[in-house]
Amino acid sequence: MELFATIFAMTYQFGDAFAFLVISCAGLAVIFGMMGIINLAHGEFIMCGAYVTAASARAGLPLPLAILCGALVAGIVGMAIERTVVRHLYHRPLDSIIATWGISLIATQGVLIVLGSTMQGIGTPLGSITVGDRSYSAYRLVLMAAAIGLLVGLYLLFYHTRFGVIARATIQRPQMARALGVDTRRIYGLTFGLGAALAGLAGGLYAPTMTMVPTMGSTFIVESFVTVVVGGADIFVGAAPAAAILAVIKASLTAWYGQLFGQIGLLVAVIIVIRVLPGGLSAWLKRSKQ
Amino acid sequence: MPEVSGSFLDDTPVEQRSRAAIWLSRLEGPQTMGRGPVFWAVVVLAVLGAAIYPQFTNPFAVGNTAYFMVWTFMAMGLGVVWGYTGALSFGQTAFFGVAGYAYGILTINVGAAFGFTWVALIISVALAGLIALLIGYFMFYGRIRGVFIGIVTLSVTLVFETFMAQTAGPQWRVGDARLNGFNGMSGMPPLTIPWFGGDILLYPGIGLYYTLLAMVVLCYLGLRMLLNAPFGNVLVAIRENPERAEMLGYDIRLYQMLAFGLGGALAGLSGALYTAWGQYITPSSMGLTAAALPIVWVAVGGRRDITATLLGTLAVLYAFQTLTIYGSQYALIVMGALLVFTVLVTPDGLIATAMERIGRLFGKTRR
Amino acid sequence: MSEILSVSKLNKSFGGVTVARDIDFALQAGTMHCLIGPNGAGKSSFFRLILGEHAPDSGTISFRETDITRMRSFERIRRGISVKFQVPGIFKALSVRQNLEVAFQHHLHGHNLATTVRRVLEFTNLESEVETAAGVLSHGQQQWLEIGMAVGVEPQLLLLDEPTAGMSPDETRKTGEMLHELNGRGITILAVEHDMAFVEQIATRVTVLHFGAIFAEGTIAEIIDHPGVQEIYLGTADE
Repeated sequence: MELFATIFAMTYQFGDAFAFLVISCAGLAVIFGMMGIINLAHGEFIMCGAYVTAASARAGLPLPLAILCGALVAGIVGMAIERTVVRHLYHRPLDSIIATWGISLIATQGVLIVLGSTMQGIGTPLGSITVGDRSYSAYRLVLMAAAIGLLVGLYLLFYHTRFGVIARATIQRPQMARALGVDTRRIYGLTFGLGAALAGLAGGLYAPTMTMVPTMGSTFIVESFVTVVVGGADIFVGAAPAAAILAVIKASLTAWYGQLFGQIGLLVAVIIVIRVLPGGLSAWLKRSKQ
Repeated sequence: MPEVSGSFLDDTPVEQRSRAAIWLSRLEGPQTMGRGPVFWAVVVLAVLGAAIYPQFTNPFAVGNTAYFMVWTFMAMGLGVVWGYTGALSFGQTAFFGVAGYAYGILTINVGAAFGFTWVALIISVALAGLIALLIGYFMFYGRIRGVFIGIVTLSVTLVFETFMAQTAGPQWRVGDARLNGFNGMSGMPPLTIPWFGGDILLYPGIGLYYTLLAMVVLCYLGLRMLLNAPFGNVLVAIRENPERAEMLGYDIRLYQMLAFGLGGALAGLSGALYTAWGQYITPSSMGLTAAALPIVWVAVGGRRDITATLLGTLAVLYAFQTLTIYGSQYALIVMGALLVFTVLVTPDGLIATAMERIGRLFGKTRR
Repeated sequence: MSEILSVSKLNKSFGGVTVARDIDFALQAGTMHCLIGPNGAGKSSFFRLILGEHAPDSGTISFRETDITRMRSFERIRRGISVKFQVPGIFKALSVRQNLEVAFQHHLHGHNLATTVRRVLEFTNLESEVETAAGVLSHGQQQWLEIGMAVGVEPQLLLLDEPTAGMSPDETRKTGEMLHELNGRGITILAVEHDMAFVEQIATRVTVLHFGAIFAEGTIAEIIDHPGVQEIYLGTADE
């Protein structure tokens, strides 16, 4: 029985880290993988989703609906920003990072001015379960399921829907897609909106577990950047396995040495991975498949 | 080395110019804006103006201007790394922080006697440069490029911040120096100049002002010479077309790593000077907001020219401080908006674009 | 005559596409050697293998009796290989003079650098364009500038990828004269070329590549008379 409790504790740690990495990086990975743009306002879309979720949950909406609301609002804001700023910078990837960073500054400080330095949060639902002599948050188990669901959902979206097929075609051969009558600008806009909505979803999902502050997005960005860098450009071949590997590193270091070393371990892992695997996991996996 | 068979060469001996003369001639050149007597007259006037400025103003303004000058080294370093080499680094504040903390730890432990503060400054800068070289080695020899350099450097600085922020406990100390976590370190001595009958303490004031002014001028002129030297030409060639530069026989990874190390050392110089200036340093100097500011200065000024970078940095710092009177949140919003505006409207930078216009007015073609 | 470059049993494929199939190739020092073959025959890939942009799956490459198979590109260049790409690989934002300086400053300094730049300008007929940004030169001038960048330090071996692509007949003729002059200075030249008239003007020896393998090799006359070559290459060129 004690053995089971230990195994459960380790699996829980790993699953928690994996869920966090997958959920927080999905939006960034979609935008980067599909458009080659690193969205430095990623953390602020997460914050946006979390704030909207918390506000609508306290206004009486059931939590799942509130989370969807958060994702939706973040997605709409994302599409608006794509139309006004990002659209002009598709051929200048470095400049698009800078511009999204500017947007991130504006968003963080704007929220700070309008809503103050903190907002009332919502408590973690579902209580806890006890295994062995330790108790675990049941909501975190829901998050793990959500991470798996998210990967499956994205896979179905990109490989089994019309939008997915057109989007992937647009990414691979923009001229060709345009010649076939695809409105590529609309596809880019929708993809960016999707990425922002996924970030909003991450914020919504984690809103019940966090303190609502305008800078809460920065909690997510190191982890999500690191996952995208290790994974490379493809979210399914790259980001998902990267999240699994990094989750092992993070969970074990966190268990032994604490939160901080978990993060430092991630960074060291990244630096080593990029040194030995240029192009990240996805490039390496694709090469070895051939 | 290929054996140079020599028919394109001319072996007739000529009067060799001295090394110093060659380096001086590089003050002007293709990689930097501004040449000819008019330009240098303006430069001399600007330096003279800065030199007599303390006579016409109050001590607070003098100390404040010194504060602005502290930051220009980091900005010029970023200009070299981003503008000239084409590697967008978001992590200059990591090197700033490393050197700042190193200066604090060294001077708190050893003290300020016999001008040790300068030794501490040099050690701190060297340490920042070495760490930058190490990170640069992993990035450039790992063939990381483009946006990934930005992400890795940003992650480095944020992890540094997280690390320093959790050092509140009494176990986090180096010798006599407590790291103090989120509140940061304080109580280190300012720079001192050993002098008969007692050291001169360079508190924010006239002494520090002139010291910094001299350092800014030296650094600016030094970088102009370096950028117009073969080293600078190769950096620009790598930015323009890395594959071709390699096919001319250059180890581009080495050049990029060296440029990154130089940028890190300059950021470290700013960090150590900042710590000496205010006698404190906190982890937030490496946070996300702090990391954004050098990018704003350099992007708004103009990253591809060292003069535009320097002027832009001073202008943005001044504007930022003026706006901070209305609340630092508002100032940061303006900075963010300025960044978006610059990228969309004048991608070469506001100051650089303005300088080019002025240059054209005088009928001189740039570069 | 000695072999300046020798390639043995070189193989390379990308996914299912084989770009080099058991290539055995020897280049005699002092010759002007042309590499021809239909599109997709693996000519450019062969160059990239020699230059180290691609690593071969198997086989060896030796340059002046040193095995360079595992060396990085810049190390091969420093041993005396120079290259001019098909798409001009000049630095468009830099002036003609700066382009040349960047190309030569590795080996030359001060006075030697200045005179070499001047003589290469003379050689490439670009004296009047010395301060012009390279990006605004005419196509032919850009090609010459790049040839100049490749030969200023007098490499042992010059690789040229379609040196006359997009040139007018007059520019093509001048380029041929330039190459003869360079060859006369002792530079071995290996060129990929499509224009058979130009090949006749310069080549002492011709190698035909087809589907990544060497199909035929000989003097220009032998190649033109080779029935198989006419079929795969010259025949299709007439279409």
